[in-house]
Amino acid sequence: MTKLVAVDNKNHLNTRVDLSKIEQHGADLQLVPVVLSEFINLAIQYPIVLTKNGNTGQFVISAMLGFEPSENLFWQQEQWQGLYVPLQIRRQPFFIAPSNQQENTNKHNNELTVCLNTESPSLSNQTGEALFDVNGQESKYFHEVKELLSQLLMGEKENNLLLKNLTLMDLIQPMSLDITFANQSTTKLTGLYTIDQDKLGSLSNEQLITLYEMGLLPSIYTMVASLGQVHALINLKNKRLN
Amino acid sequence: MSKPIKTVVVVGGGIAGWLTAGRLAAKHKAKDPNGVKVILVESPNIPIIGVGEGTWPTMRSTLIALGISETDFIRECEVSFKQGAKFAKWVDGSEDDFYYHPLVLPQGFGKGDLAAHWLAKENGASTSSFSKDVCFQEAICELGLAPKTIRTPEYADVANYAYHLDSGKFVVFLQKYCTNALGVIHILDDVTDINTCENGDIAAVVTLEQGDIKGDLFVDCTGFSSLLLGKHYQVPFKSCSDVLFVDTALTVQVPYENEHDDIASHTISTGQEAGWIWDIGLQHRRGVGYAYSSKYSSEEQARAVLAKYVGDKFASLTIRKIPIVSGHREKFWQKNCVAVGLSAGFLEPLEASALVLVELSAEMISDQLPQSRDIMDIVAKRFNETFLYRWEKIIDFLKLHYILSKRTDNAFWTDNRSPQSIPESLKESMALWQYRSPADHDFSSNNEIFPAASYQYVLYGMGFKSDYSHTTYALDDVDFAQRHFAHNRKFTEKTISTLPKNRELINKVIEFGFNRI
Repeated sequence: MTKLVAVDNKNHLNTRVDLSKIEQHGADLQLVPVVLSEFINLAIQYPIVLTKNGNTGQFVISAMLGFEPSENLFWQQEQWQGLYVPLQIRRQPFFIAPSNQQENTNKHNNELTVCLNTESPSLSNQTGEALFDVNGQESKYFHEVKELLSQLLMGEKENNLLLKNLTLMDLIQPMSLDITFANQSTTKLTGLYTIDQDKLGSLSNEQLITLYEMGLLPSIYTMVASLGQVHALINLKNKRLN
Repeated sequence: MSKPIKTVVVVGGGIAGWLTAGRLAAKHKAKDPNGVKVILVESPNIPIIGVGEGTWPTMRSTLIALGISETDFIRECEVSFKQGAKFAKWVDGSEDDFYYHPLVLPQGFGKGDLAAHWLAKENGASTSSFSKDVCFQEAICELGLAPKTIRTPEYADVANYAYHLDSGKFVVFLQKYCTNALGVIHILDDVTDINTCENGDIAAVVTLEQGDIKGDLFVDCTGFSSLLLGKHYQVPFKSCSDVLFVDTALTVQVPYENEHDDIASHTISTGQEAGWIWDIGLQHRRGVGYAYSSKYSSEEQARAVLAKYVGDKFASLTIRKIPIVSGHREKFWQKNCVAVGLSAGFLEPLEASALVLVELSAEMISDQLPQSRDIMDIVAKRFNETFLYRWEKIIDFLKLHYILSKRTDNAFWTDNRSPQSIPESLKESMALWQYRSPADHDFSSNNEIFPAASYQYVLYGMGFKSDYSHTTYALDDVDFAQRHFAHNRKFTEKTISTLPKNRELINKVIEFGFNRI
């Protein structure tokens, strides 16, 4: 459940976030949206893939966590067992939403505000990190949260740039995975997309320079390399099946 | 080598003209200095007829061949998705009388004779509707659902589909695309005369402002006037009004009540006293028209029928009257001139055959474009054979809808069943189908417009019974039948729970667009 309210130092002066419970938000995610700036960290454990948003049909960049809906193979013993936890999880229970504070005429309508999911299991009045000090000043923790959120916001722009260029240069191809697990059960994954390595290898100099100058080349190659992590994911699944 | 074919002149700027020019330009590299030059001459003073608003799934391959983005096409031509046709009141005229001619083939088609099992009402055939038992598309259409989702790549499908489009906007769209992206040269001028060579070929069309426009091949897309093939070459017109009685259409454009109204994802064709009414849902309006025979109905009666169908809004709408002279030229390619579109012929729009014939003509001309004049007569001969066959087959297929009707409310319907009005070729097919369902070998062309599946949908949709009593072994493969009927039920359930509404998908295409993959 998600119910968002804007954060302020009147209503949330005593609100605390229990950091040990944040990762619960990812407990049943098969795919988690990611941004370019975390690719290097992701690639050491997760396959980075493209999927299509069901509502818009547009591509989304995600880290793959499992083989079936609601399966996160990194969620074990009520904990995230990965070396790196994606920003989308760490930013919980905070979101960015367009500001509705129309009464403040100095603000533009498109100004953004930080919101809190009041249904999050990580919220508490007793334990955890406070958002404000007793004087209503933002805490160091809340400041870090805002950093994370702005990294995600920036990341969205970079993601769009990458997706736009991958599409323009026709570099995306569907990926179909037929997997047999240790117990002989099989699964067929569809709806996943990845970089077309043949086309990547035959780009013109001009196209390569374009990607290089936009700083997209490293991300593209990281995506390609991360596909090897499908095997690591199969291993995790096999362990779970045993 | 004799004179090479380097310049094609298309006369006429309707959909036929632009589609033909576009296909030629795309395949023969009109933009390239070494390619074939494609010129389209269009009168600035002659309005476009704009008959076709329904298409066949072939339109997808046509647009792909032109290199057009499906998203652009949908956004700019008021396009909606079409998944076949619903025929209402064609059998006995009662309120619950309807059947579908969907675009998806029957389950197991070509692998076995599911129709035989359905007729026997055995092995899992569960309803009285042939199209519903053998095809999941009827259920999709009845619920107003789209044939795909926003995640499906452009031109790909979950259920086979065609389009409904605004022909006026489509012409503008094609003109812009063909001139900008494909290098078609567009000349706005009136053709006043034709210059011929000694061998009878057309040397040039003479225009009012720009003088002679020379070419090696001329494509006549001048609509009903058939300026080159009909007027210049005097190729006779072969009427088929003795087979197809409809000779007039009254059309109106009906606005939606509000912009969120559902859009039907199929053409609705409703039988009336002296013909039938088409109802085609576009994004911004419906196109509705009454195709009727003036022998069996006065215009006043026809207006009343259309008014009753449209309802209260009718009084405020502009009615357009279009003559329908059913038939075609005796040949389509004469000397160095080939006719495409209305200049070649026209039939009542019962199965949306106008645009598909334009597409197939444009495809064959572009595919078979002779490299030099000395081989053109061979191509012309083959083109004529191919299209005479296609016209005949379409006429047969349209007539099929009438001969299976049991309506008796007007002589229009009973006369339509009189044997002397039925082509021999159709009588022969009907004789064969007394004992078995239509099959692929009943049709000899590899590019049949209406395949055996279409005939099955119409025959069994309209209550025809093939008698398998001499060949009961056709029902032996029980497993085949059970498997396919069950698969159809399962797939129906799955698709109706996952596909969006037709309007909803169109709105998403406008907002987000389809991906290419």
